[in-house]
Amino acid sequence: MEIDKNPDYLNTQSPAPGLVNLFRVEDVLNLARANSLWPLTFGLACCAIELMAGGAARFDMDRFGFGVFRPSPRQADLMIVAGTISRKMVPCIKTLYDQMPSPKYVIALGGCATAGGPFKYPGQYAILEGIDKIIPVNVYVPGCPPRPEALIAGIMELQKQIKEGKTQGVMSPASVQDSQDGRPADYKNAISRADFRKPFDPAQGKPPAPPAPPAAAATPAAPTPSA
Amino acid sequence: MVSTLVKTNIKDWLLETIKPEEFSEKNLKVAGILFEALVPQNKIAEVAREYFSQGYFLESITAVDFSECLEIVYHFNQWGPAKRSCIKILAPKNASGAPIATAPSITSIYKAADWFEREIFDMFGVVFQGHPHLKRILLPESSTIHPLLKSFKGEPKGSDVEQCLKLLKEDAETFEITYPQSIKQQNNHYYLNMGPQHPSTHGVLRLLLHLDGERVLDAEPVIGYSHRHHEKMMEIQNYLACWPNFGRLDYVGAMSYNFGYALLIEKAMGVVPPPRVEYIRVLTTELNRIASHLLWMGTFLLDLGGFTPFFYCFDDREKVLDILEAATGERLTYDYFRFGGVDHDIPQEMVPAIKKFIPAFKERLRDYDKLVTKNVIFEHRTKGLGLLSKENALAYGVTGPALRGSGIAMDLRRDEPYSIYPELDFNIPTRTDGDVYSRYVVRVKEMEESLKIIAQIIDKIPAGDFKSGKLPKNVPKGEYYSSVESTRGSFGIYLVSDGTLNPYRIRLRTPSFSNLNAIIDMLPGCLISDVIAVLGSTDIVLPEIDR
Amino acid sequence: MTLTGNFILDQTLTIILYGTIVVLFVSVNALFLVWAERKISARIQLRQGPLHVGFQGALQTIADAIKLISKELIWPRESDKFVFWLAPILVFAPVLSAFIIIPLSQHFVIRDLNVGFLFVFSLTNISFIGIFIAGWSSNSKYALLGSMRAVAQNISYEIPLLLSTMGIVMAAGSLRLTDIVAYQNKYWFICTQFPAFLIFITAALAEANRAPFDIPEAESELVAGFHTEYSGMRFALFFLGEYTAIFISSAIGASLFLGGWHGPFLPGPVWLLLKTYLLVFIVMWIRWTFPRLRSDQLMALAWKVLIPFAMFNILVTAILIYYQKFFI
Repeated sequence: MEIDKNPDYLNTQSPAPGLVNLFRVEDVLNLARANSLWPLTFGLACCAIELMAGGAARFDMDRFGFGVFRPSPRQADLMIVAGTISRKMVPCIKTLYDQMPSPKYVIALGGCATAGGPFKYPGQYAILEGIDKIIPVNVYVPGCPPRPEALIAGIMELQKQIKEGKTQGVMSPASVQDSQDGRPADYKNAISRADFRKPFDPAQGKPPAPPAPPAAAATPAAPTPSA
Repeated sequence: MVSTLVKTNIKDWLLETIKPEEFSEKNLKVAGILFEALVPQNKIAEVAREYFSQGYFLESITAVDFSECLEIVYHFNQWGPAKRSCIKILAPKNASGAPIATAPSITSIYKAADWFEREIFDMFGVVFQGHPHLKRILLPESSTIHPLLKSFKGEPKGSDVEQCLKLLKEDAETFEITYPQSIKQQNNHYYLNMGPQHPSTHGVLRLLLHLDGERVLDAEPVIGYSHRHHEKMMEIQNYLACWPNFGRLDYVGAMSYNFGYALLIEKAMGVVPPPRVEYIRVLTTELNRIASHLLWMGTFLLDLGGFTPFFYCFDDREKVLDILEAATGERLTYDYFRFGGVDHDIPQEMVPAIKKFIPAFKERLRDYDKLVTKNVIFEHRTKGLGLLSKENALAYGVTGPALRGSGIAMDLRRDEPYSIYPELDFNIPTRTDGDVYSRYVVRVKEMEESLKIIAQIIDKIPAGDFKSGKLPKNVPKGEYYSSVESTRGSFGIYLVSDGTLNPYRIRLRTPSFSNLNAIIDMLPGCLISDVIAVLGSTDIVLPEIDR
Repeated sequence: MTLTGNFILDQTLTIILYGTIVVLFVSVNALFLVWAERKISARIQLRQGPLHVGFQGALQTIADAIKLISKELIWPRESDKFVFWLAPILVFAPVLSAFIIIPLSQHFVIRDLNVGFLFVFSLTNISFIGIFIAGWSSNSKYALLGSMRAVAQNISYEIPLLLSTMGIVMAAGSLRLTDIVAYQNKYWFICTQFPAFLIFITAALAEANRAPFDIPEAESELVAGFHTEYSGMRFALFFLGEYTAIFISSAIGASLFLGGWHGPFLPGPVWLLLKTYLLVFIVMWIRWTFPRLRSDQLMALAWKVLIPFAMFNILVTAILIYYQKFFI
């Protein structure tokens, strides 16, 4: 496999102005995309249970429009990588990601998908330390496993990014990136970095996400599409 | 005393059959219900056959790497009052290095041995002579390492990306899947690849179905997509640091796995936890069992196309999780037990919360009974399907609700009593049909029994300490085995300690591994819709199988 | 209808006018139905459903639609491109054209065909060809299995669906929907033909691929069934087609069994819509209550239960009509 040295998604700027600029149209599309993020029915390990709980009765992700779980990657917009990524699973994840139609978004749910989580140790032989080494990630949600509220907060962060036009989604199948620490360059868009072993380095990005709100107050402000 | 009679029978049989220069009293050890023997390598097939004829099932096969040789350990156990036999053989390491060692296979006697031996081949490189299709099971086929060997010193930093790229490349090259020649000639047969991403494989299981139309001729589960090197990780950690692993092994019913590890180390150190601890442990474990069964019930019915029960089950589950969260601070991957105690005491408000929960949940169980269990479509979809005969259950070493659905009242809470279970009054629900419906009913009844246990002990929790005193950091040298009834079956931990701070070898005998193996014989003849029902009824959790 | 006096111009204008009305109505209606389904299912499942996108999530389906339009359309590498492109259109267009015979009131009907609802059923059959070629052209095993199931299901359930309506045709003496509805001004056919109504609802559920008969797209078995490989607007067309088909079936059911436009106080079209939405609600209610049948059980239900009962119903109706013409 060829390693793409300059994949598109590394470009964090807005796309270059084309011949015809349809800013308003793009805004409306972004608004619709942000409010209609259909996740792929896809779980790897522990976090998948919290993903299910997020879709179930108490947390009900459908309230915000991201509760339509599609089993086929062709119809999904959002891949929630929920769980430990074993190396044997990586080709499947990559295939699924490539099968999704663009624009597509990825959330790394939990410590394992972010950086290997509790299963990372020197000399480990079975897992991939962070899904962002294979596919680009928009939002990282820390926790082991994160509560459903944290997942909802993560998706809302993604919604915010899309609405503000900060992320265009990935417009072409991505390959492995070539940034220094193995992270995509746009990780500053991420709400946080959850590295279990290293102390947080403020020079590297934004501070970690605030702790998840308690269950009772799990109805954050509504994102309304009408401006 | 039937049990001692059979036990001496095995002992006498061993002494009679094997030549005295190869086997004598000094190779034997009897400790409580555990019987240990070291037999010569070439006799293991005969020994296994004898165990099989006496009605023992194969609990696990594992290996331990000592410097010159590998010790292959077979655990046999019996339905009914537990009588565990631990038979060992030695497999000397090859001087040339390839293969690392060889041992005779017992797949012709126990069907369960198939996957166990493949796992040992995968992890230790032991070649089992006579195994029909010895190949890797947990690691990718192209892998070159045998990670549980002590000589394996880990992979260099950053090799994960390299290896993933290699796997991606292989995946791209083998776009066309090559099928066996015999299959290609039959035009109307084809393969269907179900998973690893499929809405109903409960995680990352891959089922390779050989189909004629919609009818299954043959099925092969492919596992290992969630292998998280628990066993290797425990070898490099100290005993205390292993706790999080037990929370993440079977994340749905993590409390019983905590229980198993606590029992193991307490047994090894000779610690008896205070009575309050025992009550707290049983209380949380049974609550967790209810939560686990509720999750199973919801997803199982979702697989059958009933969407609404999923939401009701999860609603109830959240109520249980609220109670457990108050005690443990976690919703899922519990890490609550400690050696000789629990991490912290249960809060005051937990008892009234449970008392409120019990009648409400009983009401819900009645609803489920009315809406689901007696639903005509549900009965049609599940009755007479996915039959698990007693013979197959024995050959595959099936345990837990799946076994109880086939009419065997085996439950380690009663058969190998631990903690305060002997003092409690509870039934072991069984059904004799051995179909999907029986397994469903058994699990629903188990929730009622768990509720009964909780109701019995909720008022009797004695006051006192929730921790015993400070314990040493290392476990005395020796071998230990502990076994508990988890939500999915009997979970066993086999520990080889060399007296240092880290375990020398920990083997996790996970129930879903054997239960999943048994569906190979349950699926042929089913339709695709039935595959989902049968798979759902075995209640598997993939990371627990792959470890 | 006379607009200009010129016959050809009138016809053209009528077609354009009605076409626009139908397309607008179908789109808005389907969006509303999807929203309603999500809200109803949520209420059944102790949830809230779409809540924050517009008032009570009313703009949710619009956001979904806009997003689906803007998604990438994927051509699977091994697919049969032309047929793959054709399939969603073949599914959606016939359902759309079925609208022309629904009588909103005695005179408010686009084309009052004398073959009546037979026309609708033949059109919905065309959409099954669309489903079949969708599965075939995708070159995916799951899609193929889904479309095979769809074809088997359609052939099986077409028969009880038509047989169940024969009693009404015999009683009313016409296939024309306006005649049948006009016949019901005294009593509705649900009173005299209740078994036929049950058979009709069951068969219509199966025709529309709705749970508990949703085996062609059984999510937990076949990933997404025949539309596994479809993305973006093509998938949305299948979705729209499904919901419009439910609406059409319900409208036909309301016209045949529930007295169509008849009802006190309110104008005819309102009554028809109310009755149609009542049936749609029942369909959704059933969907979120029952588990799915297996494909062989589905066939057995059609051939061993529904068809014999429908035949028996025809027999009884015929005898009654023959001996007591005034009775029915």
